[in-house]
Amino acid sequence: MEIAYYPGCSLHASSELYDIQCKLVFGKLGIELKEIEDWNCCGATAASKTNEFLSIALPARNLGIADATGLSEIVIPCSSCYSRTLVSQKKLATDAALKASINAELGKKVQGTVKVSSILEVLRPKVISGEIAGKAVKKLTGLKPACYYGCLMTRFPIDIEVPDNVENPQGMEIVCKALGSEPIDWNYKTDCCGASAAYNDAEQSQLLMSRIFKDATARGANCIVTTCPLCQMNVDAYQDEVGGKYGIDKRLPVYFITELIGISMGIDPVVMQVDRHFVDATGLLKELNLI
Amino acid sequence: MTPSILKYEVAASKPLVEEVMSRSGQNLQSCYQCRRCAAGCPVGEETGVTPDRLIRMILVGDKEAAINNLLVWKCVACYTCGTRCPNNIQTARINETLKQMSKEAHYKPLTPRIADFHNAFMTTTGQLGRFNEIESMAIYETKTLFKELAKGHLKAMFDEMMSQGKLGAAMTKKKRMHFGFDRIKNRSEVKALYKKAKGR
Repeated sequence: MEIAYYPGCSLHASSELYDIQCKLVFGKLGIELKEIEDWNCCGATAASKTNEFLSIALPARNLGIADATGLSEIVIPCSSCYSRTLVSQKKLATDAALKASINAELGKKVQGTVKVSSILEVLRPKVISGEIAGKAVKKLTGLKPACYYGCLMTRFPIDIEVPDNVENPQGMEIVCKALGSEPIDWNYKTDCCGASAAYNDAEQSQLLMSRIFKDATARGANCIVTTCPLCQMNVDAYQDEVGGKYGIDKRLPVYFITELIGISMGIDPVVMQVDRHFVDATGLLKELNLI
Repeated sequence: MTPSILKYEVAASKPLVEEVMSRSGQNLQSCYQCRRCAAGCPVGEETGVTPDRLIRMILVGDKEAAINNLLVWKCVACYTCGTRCPNNIQTARINETLKQMSKEAHYKPLTPRIADFHNAFMTTTGQLGRFNEIESMAIYETKTLFKELAKGHLKAMFDEMMSQGKLGAAMTKKKRMHFGFDRIKNRSEVKALYKKAKGR
C-alpha cells in the first residue's frame, strides 16, 4: 500500500531521525511512503501570524502536488505542517474565489481530493487491526511514557472535526498500550511548549515547559513520547536548562512515537539514530532490557 | 491582576468592531465574557491581557489598547481560547488581525524579537521555498544582535550569543544541525504566491 508523504522542513533538517524512523516503521507495516515531489514549506505559524493569504497558499501548492499523485491519502508527521495543510484544504473547500486565485499561480492545481492525515490517524487503525502488536517482537514492559500532543494535533484555528478527544486525546496512548508500555495519565498532554518562543521569547517558553516537566515527573513518567518535531526539539533540548532553573531533578528522554514502535519491532536503535537525543535516550531502554 | 477600567468610546467603537470582525472573520459581539479563554491562556498571566479583555477593548472602541498590547505579540497560537469558547470565537485570529492593524498604524512591535523571527522565517521560505534553520537563524540573530548593539546593551548581546551558541553546539554534537541549503526547484511558483500576497 502506498501513501503520499509530506515530511516538512524539520524532518529534512534537525529532525531527520524522525523521517528515517517513519520510513522504517511504515515499511514494516507494509506502507510505502511516497514523498511528494518538490514540496515547499507550509509557512507554519510564521505565515499564519504575518500573512493570511500565504498561510493558505503555501500549503495549497503542496496539496495540488499531492492531488496530482492520484494517491488517496497523505500523511504529515509534523503537527504544524499537518494543521496548516488541513486548514488550507478546508478553507479552500469553502472559498471558491480564493481557490481560483491560488490555483491561477499553480502548475498542479488544488482539487481537494487527497485525505490529509496525521501520523496517529494512520497508526490507529493499524493498532485496532492488530498489525502493530503482530509486528512486535518485544513488549515495552516498564516504559511509562507521558504522551505529549502539544497544541496542533487537536486544536485548529477554524472549525475542523478532530479525529480524537480535543482535551484528552488517546491516539498515542492506544499505540503505546499496544506496544506493552504503560502510558501515564497526566494534565499537560495538550499544553503548549512555546514552539518558536523557545528562540524568541525564551522566558515565556521555558515557564510553559517547566509545567510540562513538573507534571510528567510528578505522575511517575519515565519518558515523554511525542509526534511533533518542534515539541520534541523543545522539551528535549531545553530540558536540562529548564530543569536547572525550576528545580526539577529528573530528566526524561523524549522519544518520537516511531522510535517506540521501532524498538518493539526490533529495529536497530543505531539505524533509527536514537543517539541523536539531547537527554540520553538509550540508557533507559538498556536499563529496561529493551535493546 | 486587577484589570484596568476601560472607557466606552461610542463613536470609535462601531468602526473598530466592524473592521476587526470583517478582517478576522470572528463574531466578537457574541462574547459574553465567560472568561473560559482567560482560564486556558498560557501567556495571559505574563502579558496582563487575556483574550476576553482583548475583545472588550475592541468592543468599547479603545483601538490604542487593542493594537498595542503584549498579548497581540506574545500569543503562542496554541488555539486553546478558540477551542474552548462557547461562542466559537477564535481570538488567535483576532490577534493576527490586530497585529496587521498595529503595523498599518506604524506602531513598533512590543516584542521585536518575535516579529523579527517570523519575518526571517518568511524571508527564507520566500527565497528558497523551504525553511532553512541556519539561514533563518542567521538573519534573525544578526537583527537581534544589531538592535542590542545600537542600544548599547552589551550584556544582552553577550547573553544572546551564549544561549544560542550553547544550543548550536548541543545540536552539532547530537548531529541535529543541518548544513545543506534545502531549496525547491520551482521557486518561481512560490515567488508568484508571495507577489500575489503583497498585492492583496
